[in-house]
Amino acid sequence: MTMTTMTATPVGTESQLVIAPMLIVLVAAAATLFLGRHPRARAAVSLAAGAGYGLAVAAIDWYIVLAPSAPGIATYQVGDWPAPFGITLVADGLSAFMLTMVAVLGIGSLVYSTRHLPGGEGRSYYFPLFHFLALGVTGAFLTGDLFNLFVWFEVMLMASYVFVAYSGGPQHTRAAFWYVALNLLASAVFLLGVGGIYATTGTLNMADLAQRLAEPAAYGLEPVPVVGLLGMLLSVFAIKAGLVPFQFWIPTAYRAAPPQITALLAGATKKVGIYAIIRLSFTVFAGAEVAVDLPLPVVDATIAGDSPLPFVGAALLVMGAGSILVGGIGAVGRDTMEGVFAYSSIGQVGFIAVPVAIAASTVDPTLREFAIIAALVFALNHTLAKGLLFLAVGTVRSATGTSRFADLGGLAGRSPPLAIAVFIASLALVGIPPLSGFFGKFLVFDAAARAGAGPVLVLLLVGSLLTIAYATRMWNRSFWGARTDAVDAATIDPVEVGVLVVLAATIVVVGVGFDPVYEFAETAAEAALDTDTYVDAVDPQKASDLGGSSGGDH
Amino acid sequence: MRTTARAIVPIVLVVAISLFFEGHNLPGGGFIGGVLTVTAFGIVYMAFGLDFLERGVLGREVDPGKEPSRDRVVLAYRRLFAYGFAIAVLSGLVPLVFDRPFLTQTFVMLEGVPIYDHLEVASAMAFDFGVYCVVVGGLLTILSVVGAE
Repeated sequence: MTMTTMTATPVGTESQLVIAPMLIVLVAAAATLFLGRHPRARAAVSLAAGAGYGLAVAAIDWYIVLAPSAPGIATYQVGDWPAPFGITLVADGLSAFMLTMVAVLGIGSLVYSTRHLPGGEGRSYYFPLFHFLALGVTGAFLTGDLFNLFVWFEVMLMASYVFVAYSGGPQHTRAAFWYVALNLLASAVFLLGVGGIYATTGTLNMADLAQRLAEPAAYGLEPVPVVGLLGMLLSVFAIKAGLVPFQFWIPTAYRAAPPQITALLAGATKKVGIYAIIRLSFTVFAGAEVAVDLPLPVVDATIAGDSPLPFVGAALLVMGAGSILVGGIGAVGRDTMEGVFAYSSIGQVGFIAVPVAIAASTVDPTLREFAIIAALVFALNHTLAKGLLFLAVGTVRSATGTSRFADLGGLAGRSPPLAIAVFIASLALVGIPPLSGFFGKFLVFDAAARAGAGPVLVLLLVGSLLTIAYATRMWNRSFWGARTDAVDAATIDPVEVGVLVVLAATIVVVGVGFDPVYEFAETAAEAALDTDTYVDAVDPQKASDLGGSSGGDH
Repeated sequence: MRTTARAIVPIVLVVAISLFFEGHNLPGGGFIGGVLTVTAFGIVYMAFGLDFLERGVLGREVDPGKEPSRDRVVLAYRRLFAYGFAIAVLSGLVPLVFDRPFLTQTFVMLEGVPIYDHLEVASAMAFDFGVYCVVVGGLLTILSVVGAE
């Protein structure tokens, strides 16, 4: 009997932290799968996992990113396989910012879920699926490998497929059918793009990819196809983010899923799309030495530059502008609360895409960083505010049995705490100081102004006016006015309202104590733009450096 | 159909098991072994009907009117899924105890084993076994529940 020893690399604490949130939700998913018959234990395990997840993310924030002596970035090689062959997990400022944002909403949604579970037999699978959804989102934020990103997207999608069809009615099945069909198509395109990038560059490790694209000659690459392949990937991420022209799945899917899951779909999975766009465009592909020269037929202008970024910027600007208009105009005419918020989500993602587009189009590094900060702060506000509003839809629906404006009215008098929470979130959407939404919107306007983009400013202004219009209309129809029978007979769950109030308080705190939030977003934007640090941290080896000692012969 | 099934099913199962053991350094493994096992079950279902496993093999009484997803064998599939998932997760967590990264694997060579001569006992086998259970449990649940509708 012989024992083969492996290259023993003890793992540092910072590295262990990187994978901690994923392991916590993974174990929670396995545990809740066993506890299907014990609802209380299942809820208790889930809440414990939520608390653990929160702590793990807070630890990542502090020890890896924010503490004075923090390294700023930490990596983890799964299974002890060195980069670029093994899967690398990377936690840097950008990942940490996104994780924190999602953790706050995720824990809120989890607490909420222990109170209000729709469905019959399927209930025993609710929490495992919830944890799988969280696992997919977490994995997507942490992975440093393009194919692994695809895998986490699929994990996230599998769980969300079930959730969209969760209630099992005809309209849910219909929504799920569209959702599954569209996303299968998107996954196929994603896979084609990933395959093409592998064929072109010979690697899928993001750090290795960035390194190779920066000096294509040294690696004997012909990087031009990468621009088109990046375009394919961007269209997939745009589907996830729900940007126009890929917005059509959002209203039906958001109506069909349980409200606390819709809060996550809007607050977390959409942000995965945004994150992937920022990470790939700036950290990975920004340094690619490709001369882009694309004459535009209608406006008689040319997109040109020496990296794929100007192309990304132009595409995102068009999609973002379309989203703001379609979302805003669509939201004004809806007759249910979730309809308004679903269209509003489309518009708000447009508000996030526009600063990302500005960052991609500009050549000024200060403006680029500032625009990404604007996008991140706006995304944070959207996660908090829209998450709260979708949870509020759940509360209203479970209390009154309806979320149609025609059957609602006078909720403000029926439950003042609920009304105050929704009021704060609506104001945050509109962007009233001192709430988080004000800074988000202010930074986006500021970025557009600094870029000297007049038409974009007008567009943002129109979008903001539309936001005021639909938020006011939603408020008037459901919270003010004469109390309807449904509202009179409602029994409102105190824990659900508690979650809403806590989220509303978070919105206020983020707005009042905005400086640390801005610094965190600044760190995140620096991390997104700092390809060199990213590559150094991952340190992808060349095949020739490895010798035979890495276990590759196994 | 039934005659063919009697001949094919054992062969398919043996191939599935051998694929499972090949897993960690030749093409094969828990996933493909599991899929092939499910194929064997699928042939049994097609040839003998959905109740055959419950009534003919396990000798249990089957209430023809009840929902198929309540069958005891389907509940067993679901449990298999849950256990398999837990095994896979736990096998990934074990290296953490030895201060190695998640999913790190090692292996031991056993010499002088009959038939195989030398057999490699890899820690990856535990993970593969978990995957095998997840695939078999998951696919059979889908097959028997959807097949009954």
